Amino acid sequence: MNMQTQNPTRIIFASFFKSGFKAKRMRVFILLSLIPVVLMLAARVMETAGSLAANDSADFFANVMLVLYFQLLIPVLALFFGSTIVNEELDNKTLVYLTTVPVSRRAVLLGKYLAAFLQAALLVGGGFLLCFLAAAFTRLGQAAAWEELAVFLGTALLALFCYSALFTIAGAFMKKSVLIGLFFVFGWESVVQYFPGITQKFTIIHWIKSLLPVLPGQGGFLIFQLQPSPALESVLMLLGAGCVFLFLAVFIFERKEYILSDNA
Amino acid sequence: MTAVLKAEKLSKWYGNILGISDINLEIGSGITGLLGPNGAGKSTFLKIAAGQLKPKIGSLTVFGEAVFGNHQLFRRIGFCPEHDSAYMEMSGWQFILLLARLHGFNGNEAGAMSEKALATVGLLESKDREIKGYSFGMRQRLRLASSILHEPEMLMLDEPLRGVDPLWRIKIMKLIKDYGKQGRTVIISSHILPEIEAMTSEIVLIHQGKIFAKGDIHRIRGLIDSHPHQVSIRCQQPRQLAQKLIDSDFVLSVDFDKDGHSLTVKTNQRDLFFTVLIGLIAESGLEIEEITSPDDNLQAVFDYLIGK
Repeated sequence: MNMQTQNPTRIIFASFFKSGFKAKRMRVFILLSLIPVVLMLAARVMETAGSLAANDSADFFANVMLVLYFQLLIPVLALFFGSTIVNEELDNKTLVYLTTVPVSRRAVLLGKYLAAFLQAALLVGGGFLLCFLAAAFTRLGQAAAWEELAVFLGTALLALFCYSALFTIAGAFMKKSVLIGLFFVFGWESVVQYFPGITQKFTIIHWIKSLLPVLPGQGGFLIFQLQPSPALESVLMLLGAGCVFLFLAVFIFERKEYILSDNA
Repeated sequence: MTAVLKAEKLSKWYGNILGISDINLEIGSGITGLLGPNGAGKSTFLKIAAGQLKPKIGSLTVFGEAVFGNHQLFRRIGFCPEHDSAYMEMSGWQFILLLARLHGFNGNEAGAMSEKALATVGLLESKDREIKGYSFGMRQRLRLASSILHEPEMLMLDEPLRGVDPLWRIKIMKLIKDYGKQGRTVIISSHILPEIEAMTSEIVLIHQGKIFAKGDIHRIRGLIDSHPHQVSIRCQQPRQLAQKLIDSDFVLSVDFDKDGHSLTVKTNQRDLFFTVLIGLIAESGLEIEEITSPDDNLQAVFDYLIGK
């Protein structure tokens, strides 16, 4: 028998990345990720028609889109994608197939995490790109515009990486992790980020917002009370926290027994 | 017997609910039937054996190794779960191919192994359909395919015939028997006794988390010497035969059936009874049409053991 070593993480990633797009929930997430695009296009059309002043759509992008993406869409998508990595296997009772093959649980979790992360990244990145194109339509020839896009996209990916890893822990640890996740996103993250001083650094959103290239006068509610940390420190913090969260998720997943039903 | 699976003082409970309790068991090669009603602890036992659950007390080893967290062991083990579960968005082919690749088979070989497994369970023609379009019986066969895919040395099947149509039931039984004949170890759980009876006489009776009996069905039956064993005899002169039997101490009762051509004898010494019966037949020249022993089927043993 040809039993050459294949990378099981890659096999799982490829399989679940592909099949994930057929899931019903993906349609909901695609629609969700298109909401900012529709809003941005509407603002652009209104600006073109003269209902909005010139450049108002750019402000609209900064003030509303960023709030919508970084405070709502990214955490919520990360919550659903991250927490379902394990929870979905439990709900559908399919975990048994991935834990009765000669593949470590670490490889299973990382493969599924990468698939979920990339799916969420494509949704956010795709929507974000469309929004940006609509907002920066008149200055697409300027390198600064593309640099700005790169920073936004990079920050979005870091945010997804960190949030998804955090919610993967929740999904690996408990069955009803979405509720806890929603409390975290709309409770802790939404409130503590506005606390003064060092307290706001205990939120993920603080480090994300520290990276956003929001100009003075833009961002409004998003940068209210923000005492930004240095960019490099923020990048390292998001990367480090994401890695620690992933390590903890693997640690739990490797050791926890999952009871798929009332056992006979 | 070389034990492939060995459980020592194995116990498992969920909160206040008992799964299994103080199980000591060794299972060697060949087919072993795990019998018990729903909730008896069969699935808990198999899930521990398949590394899905951890023992609370005691230990369980397969091929001498603990199973939980020991993923390399699954090169040698195949497990067919009881749940009607699968990745519904995948096709049957994608599902089996994924598992083949996770078992370490590359490219063409993974394809060949997947094709063989699907053909074995009769799903090759439906392989490109999404699993959510499969019937319950087809999904059951797909689960079986997932467990035999890598041709494991040990196969654990949790209610594998549930929902399978009669034709495939026979084919799957043959497949399992062939596995046993090849010297592999097969543990099959069921609460439908004739299914197990058709595949093996080596059984483990489990009820309320405990093992009630283990061994050959006839040996188990022999253990129950206090329980009357029933033998039905069909002949033209049932009353004459009854006259000859009734004086024996080991005959507890004789009942005549309504048709007037058969009688049912209850005895507490099965082997002695048959020895005497054969002697009587030879001596008296009575023509016996049929001798059946209803208690020899697993249901009777099982019912008796669980106190029905």
